Amino acid sequence: MKKRLSMLLAAALMLSLALTGCGNGRDAGTTSDAPETNSTAPVQSQAAEPTGGFEAGATIGVSLPWLGTQNWKEADEMFKTQLEAAGFNVIVQAADNKVPQQQQQIEAMIQNGAKVIVVGPIDGSQLGAVLEEAKAAGIYVIGYDRLLENTTGVDGVVQFGSIKTGELQAQALLDGLKEKKGDGPYNIELFGGGPADPNAPNFFTGAMSVLQPKIDDGTLVVVSGQTDFTQCATIDWDNSKAQARMDSLLSGFYSDKEVHGVLSPNDGIARAIITASEQAGQEIPVVSGLDAENESVEWVWSGRQYSTVAKPTDVLVGKTVEIIKSLQAGNGMPAADVSVNNGKIDVPVYELPPVVVTKDNAKEAFANDPGRLELLK
Amino acid sequence: MKQIKQVLGGELRKYTMVIALVALILIFHIASGGKMITPSNFQNLLSGNAYVLILAIGMLMVIVIGQIDLSVGSVSGFCGMVMALTATNLNWPWWAAVLCGLGIGVLIGAWQGFWVAKLGIPGFITTLGGMMIFRGGVIWISKSISVPAPAELKWFGAGYLPEWGPSFTGMNNSTLLLGIIAIAALAFMQLRKHKRTSELKGGNEPLWPVVTRIILGAVVIGYLTWLFGSGRPGTSFPIPGLILVILVIIYHTITQRTRFGRHIYAVGGNKSAAALSGVNVKKTYFLTMLNMSFLAALAGIMFVGRSTAAGPSDGNGWELDAIASVYIGGAAVSGGVGTIMATMVGGMVMAVLNSGLMLMGVGADKTQVIKGLVLLAAVAFDVYNKQPGHVSITKRLFSTKDSAAKEGSPAAKES
Repeated sequence: MKKRLSMLLAAALMLSLALTGCGNGRDAGTTSDAPETNSTAPVQSQAAEPTGGFEAGATIGVSLPWLGTQNWKEADEMFKTQLEAAGFNVIVQAADNKVPQQQQQIEAMIQNGAKVIVVGPIDGSQLGAVLEEAKAAGIYVIGYDRLLENTTGVDGVVQFGSIKTGELQAQALLDGLKEKKGDGPYNIELFGGGPADPNAPNFFTGAMSVLQPKIDDGTLVVVSGQTDFTQCATIDWDNSKAQARMDSLLSGFYSDKEVHGVLSPNDGIARAIITASEQAGQEIPVVSGLDAENESVEWVWSGRQYSTVAKPTDVLVGKTVEIIKSLQAGNGMPAADVSVNNGKIDVPVYELPPVVVTKDNAKEAFANDPGRLELLK
Repeated sequence: MKQIKQVLGGELRKYTMVIALVALILIFHIASGGKMITPSNFQNLLSGNAYVLILAIGMLMVIVIGQIDLSVGSVSGFCGMVMALTATNLNWPWWAAVLCGLGIGVLIGAWQGFWVAKLGIPGFITTLGGMMIFRGGVIWISKSISVPAPAELKWFGAGYLPEWGPSFTGMNNSTLLLGIIAIAALAFMQLRKHKRTSELKGGNEPLWPVVTRIILGAVVIGYLTWLFGSGRPGTSFPIPGLILVILVIIYHTITQRTRFGRHIYAVGGNKSAAALSGVNVKKTYFLTMLNMSFLAALAGIMFVGRSTAAGPSDGNGWELDAIASVYIGGAAVSGGVGTIMATMVGGMVMAVLNSGLMLMGVGADKTQVIKGLVLLAAVAFDVYNKQPGHVSITKRLFSTKDSAAKEGSPAAKES
């Protein structure tokens, strides 16, 4: 039996030797997509590739991470309606927060002959090979809402400035503390988003750039002492994990203290924090948020959650659709606002400004959003 | 009908799932407007599912000995992360990092095997513990931040064989060579088997079923070779697929032709009887658990290669995909029954379902529902067929009077 096994092994070995033999076979336009070349090509050469555009009814693929939060559900619907209205054939799929599933969905979009693939990644750094495959097939890849890292297969990214978002969240927290909790020092806690999402550390960095000076001068006291992003992060943006962390912070550090404010990276986590505080018998702290989810808009309106930051999905989708139309017309990628190195190349990034929403400005902020305006009653 | 039976080798029940698989592929090909059976989609099917199929090889052996391993996803994630960290943060060369990842996999396997074999803790509990330990471990060592993998690894996770030689073949010559080797191996093995049986039976065995079988096999392999080889220049039969095929051959040989393989089935069929007949049950448990974690490490590393980065949630839920493949492939929950080949077919059924539904633009929600139903249907079908007194559907299709009488006995079983 061993003999047969060794024969098989020998055959496999011989085969691999034979395969390394030289020659070049078929004339390959792109023999390999050469991901090793640590390309530092300037942004312009990417953005200004000669393009002939493509037919008006072409297929556009949109791969979203999941439909578990309102902003993604909205993106799902808006992409469908806006791209269909523009005459494209649209495939929108969501991957249930599983990376292998998203990889396969993108491959299926390549199979379906998509001309542009819009990717809202689950983990921005884990789609490298698949996106390079798309690129090799001559497809435009646009990152949506999150940076696509560690790959050469990306043409541009549309997102809200994530450092800016963090700064706004922190500033809203400071304003809220002054308004609601009298004079300092204030006891606060910090929460971060899902570490796999490249935006999450940026939100935190942006927020800390505002908060750190106040922590240093003693206006703010982080009672638990947990100020590292890794200590504060919420894996997968999972609300229940954030609630569990808040529960243990409250029972561990706040049995004889009041928590005045909490930095929260999004609305779901904000509500989890508020719920945990209420259950622990605390007065509701000033909590920041993000995404303007319906539930949180109501909470802001009723005063339970101090603020949220709206990243209007319609603006983000609108910008993406605008880029797709420009590509279709053969005008290439429009000029970007900034370029960000993603670990392999410099990626053009289209940054959109987010909007802080508190009870005071909610009516103006949602003036163009009948659905949310309805909630302010 | 009798002739068909002779060509297929008598055991028609083995082919039920293969027929289902082919039917699925054809249905999706039509339903998706011709996007299923294309070179690039078949390449994707293998590259995108090799990691689950590799896990399923190990899982089949674990299930055959009557255990289960719930930790494979976490172990895959952990070993992939160790590999990425040693390569990126410690600046080890990529091959050393890979060896380190595999080594950690073997160590983890020895740890699990120790609890199962030496202390007699049920595999379910040992590996439930392992699932938590190593998931926590991944998050711990990575500080829950994705780590980029060395660029060379992409070859293992999503690479292709080289292009070489003459271009008049119109396809990737590496793939062509593989196809030719496969056909030659098939012919060689069939002829040798025929020679042996005819020696045993006194030289009366007819040659024509063997020849037909070789021709049929050659046509199928030839078609697949063409399919894989005629994609976009630069693509071929994918590397992860090749690794999978080599592993399948090795493990098929181990389970079907070696003493260790027979011990696995003996222990799973009846532990006490196996122990009484001199099988070292503890050793069998230990080696099987060890092997599972080794394969999990390999799968994890290949996945990282394909993803170009190791993430903290890599491997979440993979154990369930692997277990589903094994059961769809007809393994028994009670242990002792199941083959590698059938498991691969089971895994491909899941993969084709996934791919086909995605090509048709069906969402992840409905895909999950459909996969769940298929799992239930496949196992129910198998259970129904195994009940004495029922005649299986394929058998009914192909049955002739004499063979129905011979095979209708409940003792007839595969593997």
